[in-house]
Amino acid sequence: MLQEELKNRLSEVKDKLIGIEETTERRIYLLCEAENAHAVNKFLFEDLALRFVIATGIDSDDCFEILYHFSNDETGCVITIKAFIRDREKPSIESITPFLPGAEWIEREIHDLLGIDFENHPNLRRLILADDWPEGVYPLRKACPERSEGTKK
Amino acid sequence: MSLKMWSLKKSVWVFHVNVGACNNCDIEVVNMLTPKYDVERFGIKLVGSPRHADALLVTGVGTHQAVIRLREVYRQTAKPCVVFLIGACACGTGIFKGGYHVAGPVDEIIREVDPDAIIAYVPGCPPKPEAMISGVVKVLSAL
Ligand code: SF4
Repeated sequence: MLQEELKNRLSEVKDKLIGIEETTERRIYLLCEAENAHAVNKFLFEDLALRFVIATGIDSDDCFEILYHFSNDETGCVITIKAFIRDREKPSIESITPFLPGAEWIEREIHDLLGIDFENHPNLRRLILADDWPEGVYPLRKACPERSEGTKK
Repeated sequence: MSLKMWSLKKSVWVFHVNVGACNNCDIEVVNMLTPKYDVERFGIKLVGSPRHADALLVTGVGTHQAVIRLREVYRQTAKPCVVFLIGACACGTGIFKGGYHVAGPVDEIIREVDPDAIIAYVPGCPPKPEAMISGVVKVLSAL
């Protein structure tokens, strides 16, 4: 899919977004609220047939952000969905694993490190933290005390 | 020199343990075994079980999850055994010092199991194969 066509198709999900940012020719950000992220992901993956690269989780003070990165391999353009999770007490977002199995482990990892609940994830077990790591301590949250001090036993 | 020491120095079989490395040190360890450096001509060979090993090549910081296994692997090696700490991470936790998942440094973990352990440090991020070979030679001539 060429760049022009991609941009035209992206406008089909405009009503689900709160903004589109084009930082460069090959980098497009689609900003949306958490509840719309599932639909936008599905659109990029199933309707536009873009390749899912990876997801990122960020603790950005007033909200959590999940960034889903998709690549349009024909042009090398990377399209990132930036989903904002405003609820800091019980952060949750709909899982994309049911239609995109490649996202299973990265969602588990984000769940481990940031404590974000991926609803309808088929297998949200611990992935990378130690077996004896305390429940409910999320090391990549900014407020986490273990973050800088280390947890020497 | 005891018989055990004498035989240890003849051809050192090594067991490679990754306890939380970024994988770069591990690539260099494997590189050391490829035909370019070919340490097998000195009898240095990678083995699949710590019970067959004369030396451990340890890479990585020593994460909470991995140090339990590291202690067990060290207990299972035939003594005397040389522990080579490969890379800045293994030598003293490197850039991950103070990280939330770091239980190292690795030398302290090994000394908890065996206070008289023979530990050799090969710093670098990652160390070159030449540095590792030089480390092996220095240790073997010091024993
Ligand atoms: S010393 Fe450097 S190359 Fe080796 S594991 Fe640590 S960070 Fe990676």
